[in-house]
Amino acid sequence: MNTGTARCLILACGNTLREDDGVGPFLASWAEERFSSAQGVRVLIQHQWAPELSAEIADAQTAIFLDCAVNASPGSVTLSPVEAATEIPRLFTHHLDAATLLALARDYYSALPSRALLLTIGAASLELREAFSETVKAALPAAQRTLEEAVLSLLETAGQRK
Amino acid sequence: MSQTITIDPVTRLEGHGKITLYLDDQGNVENAQFHVTQVRGFEKFSEGRPFYEMPSLMARICGICPVSHLIASAKACEAIMSVRIPHTAAQLRRMLNLAQMVQSHALSFFYLSSPDLLLGLDSDPASRHLFGVVAAKPELGRAGVGLRRFGQHIIELLGKKRIHPGWVIPGGVTEPLEQAKRDEILAMLPEAYANIKLALDWYKQIADSFKPEADVFASFPSLFMGLINEDESVEFTDGALRLIDPRGGIVADGITANQFTEVIGEAVEPYSYTKFAYYKPLGYPEGSYRVGPLARLNIAQSMGTPLADIELKQFKQLALGPVQSSFHYHHARLIDILYGLEKIEQILTDPLILDKHVRATAGVNRLEGAGQAEAPRGTLHHHYKVDENGLITWANLVIATGQNNNAMNRGVLQAAKHYIKDGKFTEGILNRVEAVVRTFDPCLSCSTHALGQMPLAISLVSADGELVDQVIR
Repeated sequence: MNTGTARCLILACGNTLREDDGVGPFLASWAEERFSSAQGVRVLIQHQWAPELSAEIADAQTAIFLDCAVNASPGSVTLSPVEAATEIPRLFTHHLDAATLLALARDYYSALPSRALLLTIGAASLELREAFSETVKAALPAAQRTLEEAVLSLLETAGQRK
Repeated sequence: MSQTITIDPVTRLEGHGKITLYLDDQGNVENAQFHVTQVRGFEKFSEGRPFYEMPSLMARICGICPVSHLIASAKACEAIMSVRIPHTAAQLRRMLNLAQMVQSHALSFFYLSSPDLLLGLDSDPASRHLFGVVAAKPELGRAGVGLRRFGQHIIELLGKKRIHPGWVIPGGVTEPLEQAKRDEILAMLPEAYANIKLALDWYKQIADSFKPEADVFASFPSLFMGLINEDESVEFTDGALRLIDPRGGIVADGITANQFTEVIGEAVEPYSYTKFAYYKPLGYPEGSYRVGPLARLNIAQSMGTPLADIELKQFKQLALGPVQSSFHYHHARLIDILYGLEKIEQILTDPLILDKHVRATAGVNRLEGAGQAEAPRGTLHHHYKVDENGLITWANLVIATGQNNNAMNRGVLQAAKHYIKDGKFTEGILNRVEAVVRTFDPCLSCSTHALGQMPLAISLVSADGELVDQVIR
């Protein structure tokens, strides 16, 4: 596919109709605007992360995955490195996590981003609503700051790799 | 003492399903039921909505085939408006529908079924998935990913989103095709052709090794139905319906969307939320029929594109008349993909494809309208009634999976009877029972309009109703 190599691939997952589940897509849209003048930043917003994204990931120099977390403290913003999974879930086809997607990129294309990060925001509520809970709303500035710094850092890594 | 086997959930399907196998006193299979255990209700909650909202509402039924719902729904709305859409809009919709078919079939064949076909139905379930495929034949896995991306990228280029695009509206499409997008799609085609050629060549090499399965995977005479053009070539978006009998004789032909309910009825069974469609003159269940890739190839005399026509000729050599085993849905699906690529290329070279006139407008001119299209899994029918203000008063959807429902149940029974003896079974046997359902690639979310993801379960129940064993995935 003629998408070009991304220096930083931003991959968000979530449903904007399910309250805090939409925080990943929201942050990705924000980042798309924030880095609109930066070369090589590619943003992909999905309802679910599916296997075909492995090709985009394999092409990217660096990647950051954005998602809400249901098992984390509501409103908590967590940035962590993510590695390709070594244990593969037995039942999957439609929805994969970041580590499994990286493993698919590795196994299918023998390629991985030089750095990959996962940014999660703890969800307080996943009800049918096109707005965030007050807790997640309050966490958005911190999440945006963290995302901005992370993307700048990944772009630097990509620049160094050149 | 008789027993029951339950497979719950059935894996590698679109939606939630369960299989129950009823055994007699000797432990042999007496009956089988494929249950669709989820319910949604789009027909009901669309009541009161303006008809022009219906395409985008109905597209939300499914994340795999939203385009088919968009198109069937828009056509039902256009029947209410009494408009004929511009040629370019019709061609663009056809391309969008074909792109969706390519990505959906790629998901079914490569993601859901190729682990069985490549690694074997008795292989270790712990590695019977995409990672197992890439370990054994990476180029096949990459071909699947490539074809899925191809279809999704076209949908994204035209509809701006890979899932639930909103570009198709009553009267046509919201905006014309830009030259840059046309050129981008044309540039993607060589890789897509190479991917489907690889898959077809490989499949034809291994298909014979599955003859024992092909003999019992829903292999029985039935009616077949699908859309067809006047020249008897395959059609996905326009055309009219044809029904053939098990010997290939035409039972009904030229059925328009408005005539659909004169010919097709729907029955219900207490064990499933999915309806059972049947050909009315034969009644239920005798009038049950199959739709989808196998049916499309069985009813057509040609694909209408050169490479797919060569493949169709070979496919038709599998049987003297219509190909009866549902195992061959896999093969038919690959030929559908090849046809889709060729047809997309033809559409993109239509001299009018960049024309700016892509929408017709009108208000409510009729109080009832129906539309039909071929979804990846088979014929899809939308039927609406509105009041004078254009608000929906009644809606009914007849989905491909409902039309295949009886054949899926018969197929599960046929395979279970063949493989399960004296109440004994292995994981590989249960996988075969599930694989029968997978050949149809049912979309359970579409068929019941249900919520949720994927899995299935098999239960073994004794003659006195006792649950003897259960496999839950």
